[in-house]
Amino acid sequence: MLAQIETLPVNTPDVDWAGLLPLAILGVGAVVLVMFRSVVKRLPADIETQVVTLVGPITVLGMWVAGGYAGENVPLASVRDDVGEPAFYIGLLVVMGVAALLVRTMQIGLDAAVTAGVGLSAISAVWALWDDRFTSTGPFNAIGDQFGVDGFSLVITGVIASAVVLVAFLLDDYLRREELDGPEMYVLMLLSAAGGVVMAGANDLIVLFLGLETLSIAVYVMAAMHVRRSESQEAGLKYFVLGAFSSAFLLYGIAMVYGATGSTNLIDIRIFLDSVVLVDDGLLMAGFALLLVGLGFKVAAAPFHSWTPDVYQGAPTPVVAFMASAVKAAGFAALVRVFVVTFGGYSSDWQPAVYALALLTLVVGSVLAVVQRDAKRMLAYSSISHAGFILVGVQASSPEGTASVVFYAVAYTFLVIGSFGVLTVVSGRGDRATSLDDLDGLAARRPALALAFTIFLLAQAGVPLTTGFVAKFEVIGAAVEARSYWLAIAAMVTAVVSAFLYLRIVLSMYMGTAAENPADDGSRIHPAAALAIGVALVITLGFGIVPGPIDELARDAVPHLVAAG
Amino acid sequence: MILAADPLYGGDLLGDILITLLKAGVAFTFLLVAVMLMIWFERKLISDMQNRIGPNIAGPWGIFQTLADGIKLFFKEDLVPENADRFVFKLAPYLALVPAFLVFAIVPLGGDFNRKDGSDGVVSIFGHDTFLQVADPPMGILFFLAMSSIAIYGIMLAGWGSGSKYPLLGAVRASAQMISYEAALGLAIAAVVLQTGSLSTHDMVIDQAAGGYGGIIPNWNIVVTGFVPFFVFFIAGTAELNRPPFDLVEAEQELVGGFHTEYSSIRFALFFLAEFMNTITMSAIMVLLFLGGPAGPALFFPEGWWIGTFWFFLKLMAFLFTFVWFRATLPRFRYDQLMDLGWKVLIPISLAWFLLLAGLRLGDDRDWTYNETLAFMVGCIITFALLGGLLIGAINTARAERVREEADRG
Amino acid sequence: MSDFLRSYLTVAIFGLVGFALVGAFLGLGRLLRPDKPNLAKTEAYESGVDPTGDMWSQSNIRYYIFALLFVMFDVEAVFIFPWAARLEAYEIFGLIEMAIFIFILLLGLLYAWRKGVLKWV
Repeated sequence: MLAQIETLPVNTPDVDWAGLLPLAILGVGAVVLVMFRSVVKRLPADIETQVVTLVGPITVLGMWVAGGYAGENVPLASVRDDVGEPAFYIGLLVVMGVAALLVRTMQIGLDAAVTAGVGLSAISAVWALWDDRFTSTGPFNAIGDQFGVDGFSLVITGVIASAVVLVAFLLDDYLRREELDGPEMYVLMLLSAAGGVVMAGANDLIVLFLGLETLSIAVYVMAAMHVRRSESQEAGLKYFVLGAFSSAFLLYGIAMVYGATGSTNLIDIRIFLDSVVLVDDGLLMAGFALLLVGLGFKVAAAPFHSWTPDVYQGAPTPVVAFMASAVKAAGFAALVRVFVVTFGGYSSDWQPAVYALALLTLVVGSVLAVVQRDAKRMLAYSSISHAGFILVGVQASSPEGTASVVFYAVAYTFLVIGSFGVLTVVSGRGDRATSLDDLDGLAARRPALALAFTIFLLAQAGVPLTTGFVAKFEVIGAAVEARSYWLAIAAMVTAVVSAFLYLRIVLSMYMGTAAENPADDGSRIHPAAALAIGVALVITLGFGIVPGPIDELARDAVPHLVAAG
Repeated sequence: MILAADPLYGGDLLGDILITLLKAGVAFTFLLVAVMLMIWFERKLISDMQNRIGPNIAGPWGIFQTLADGIKLFFKEDLVPENADRFVFKLAPYLALVPAFLVFAIVPLGGDFNRKDGSDGVVSIFGHDTFLQVADPPMGILFFLAMSSIAIYGIMLAGWGSGSKYPLLGAVRASAQMISYEAALGLAIAAVVLQTGSLSTHDMVIDQAAGGYGGIIPNWNIVVTGFVPFFVFFIAGTAELNRPPFDLVEAEQELVGGFHTEYSSIRFALFFLAEFMNTITMSAIMVLLFLGGPAGPALFFPEGWWIGTFWFFLKLMAFLFTFVWFRATLPRFRYDQLMDLGWKVLIPISLAWFLLLAGLRLGDDRDWTYNETLAFMVGCIITFALLGGLLIGAINTARAERVREEADRG
Repeated sequence: MSDFLRSYLTVAIFGLVGFALVGAFLGLGRLLRPDKPNLAKTEAYESGVDPTGDMWSQSNIRYYIFALLFVMFDVEAVFIFPWAARLEAYEIFGLIEMAIFIFILLLGLLYAWRKGVLKWV
């Protein structure tokens, strides 16, 4: 009887481990961190300091190994070639020493240090993949034809990993201040980042959904992580309920597209749509609409934005920084991959919808931002309007448009992390002082922070010599190229509207009466947080003045769907 | 996938239906009679173990005691508490009893599993070839897991619907206990499935009926899976039944009667019936999964259709005796001990053992050499030792932390 | 009807007979038993004293956490059973995948354990 059970063959997919490296680093990092903290809950303070110092050199080694495994032309050189050269060892030792010193001066906690190390190793792997594999052999598939590695997914992965590093620095001080220490936040952030990476490279709608859920569920919990603030709980619950709702939309859209095309694989779908003319495409259109709703929710496009202000206001500020940067980048990556690349042939069908969405998002975001009295709420609306700008790039449905989306995602990530980083420091214990009034006279109290915030706000407004300007310029350029003139004009008008708002804050910071802020005790900024804000600042200004490198990167980072070979 | 379906299907329909009904009728009768005897058996055995006489008035050796009790309960007034959710209150007995019945449908009660001529347990009833079990669905053993989950609903709804405090507490305790052990139960079954490569209960018996080591030790899963899954299943099964020493659900000293405190008359009898019926079906499932079901070491016995049934009942009685023995001997667990045993011992052990078995089984399939198998075993043992060490380290640091915290507090 | 469905049909018939039997018991009981309700009889039982407070009391949050943990291990069964039944087809690849899966599950259990969730009292 048993012999009658047929042994059907099971296909195990080809796995390109190097291509999976960034994802694996983030995922394994999360697992290792939670395992370590499950075994050793708390180290004695003196040992902890020593261990943290060790994390620096280990990170350098990790970056070297990760980079070397994936590629060859990496700083720190490759594992394969440089072993054996004395100069290399000396260099490595020096760099490790510097890293140890750096970590020491940053006075960072162990969990944050490990998280940052994991993020940096992932960045190193991304860099190596880009420099070695991608530029020489082009895009390829990492698992079967389910998960692609191309310029686009690599850049988004890099963005997400950078966000992990910077937010880890912000979180360290924040969690200690709020007495929420623990590895959970970092583990969840790493898991969420892994989900984002999956989304960025997903070549299958089901894989995309998997990534989206991994990303979202972790972020729901992160939003509710501040156990003593009821606003935080409210934010988490709201985000969860609405997010689950939108996931259902997305899943339903996937089902519709599957029904219309007979596959959930993006490559198969595109081949099918290119080769077959659908006489009755109602099912496909319904699928488009539902997918757009589901993804529109994740990137907070109006009219699916209503959760954003409440969640951004309630969630812990560094978590908001992560949500506005990594989660948004992953959402747009999915949007571009699914709509621009896969459904590119049907762009005349979905472009009007995205057009309307972009227009509405721009207007809602910038107009409602003006009337807000709370800084986090205001930044939430401004992030909605930025989503509108990125949607303008998506709407172009062209290589230029995609490049502008990538540029905007990169620029906005650092901008928004910087902005929320400043707010994290200023808002004081329990995130109390987030009202715009609390920013009055900030320049007198904390001149350096006020200057940084000014630059971030100016960049958000799109003032030249910042990345914000270049990003907006590229997006509008792509819209003009695609002959969406009215959308381009609307984008410019709303940019001016929000510029008014940002300038008002800048004015109040410098001109406002130096009201005492009871929540902000004026103590020294934690070095790690300062470093995070500083890095964001340098990137915002640096690439604002010399946008060339990111611009080139963005032009190369066009997503490809590669059929499994 | 082609499964060995019951040869009954495919013949003429009317005859099949009649045979099916006959089998169902026999199974019902058997279950009801068995419960009656089981209760008597339990009382009599316990009184023997406690130096008492036990029931001795109704019938010879008091054998009709249960019948008398049951008839008495028919004549008792049925009370539905004022606070009760009437619909749920009345629904609960159904949900407790029907799953207990249903599980029995998948148990092979007999059949010719003689391994010499490789027969497959098919017997002939009035010219119809069939298995001696009510049904053999392809997902057989999962059906058992599903039913044991539904039985929790019966208990939970009974406790909740009563609108009273003791039943609610008892029900919450019961469901927490049952779900805690269900995981271990499922993993022990997974180890058997690994061995059999099929979920069908009939296939499981056939697999175990095949020749064993040296033709003397039977090829029963208890041996083949290395005893651990069997003990895990036995413990988890006892807990699942809420029988002593895991009978916290109706800890009389604390909760009066547990979830059925508010039930009276025949409704109470139904819960009682369900409990004993579950004991019998759980024993039957254990016989089926680990002791070869109706397949016995038939080398030294005459062959015939009845031999499978004979072995089956012999093994069943052994388990029933053990359950009674437990009740007479073991003191009740404390609730935290109960939960600890489930989550901290049984689940990790069964998971680790499951992986070990999977590796060995795969090695067997891929013709590993002796050295390769040895290497795998050693690797597994090292991994488990490391993990265990990690765990023990964690427990120790936790204890040290607790001590430190207590010292800090003063 | 296919064999597959017929074996379930048998189970369904068996279940219906079970329901009928329970119904018959209850019906028989209704015919035979007396019915003289009064207030004292239908009061909730609290060891003889008058019942106090709300009957649906709150229960310990830990029960809920155990329920959540159970969901984790029950969903795991969904993956483990099909794999266990077709072990040979998935070969070493499947074994490694399952080992990773089980490792992560155990890690979750370990985390819960260290978080003090499994501690009763």
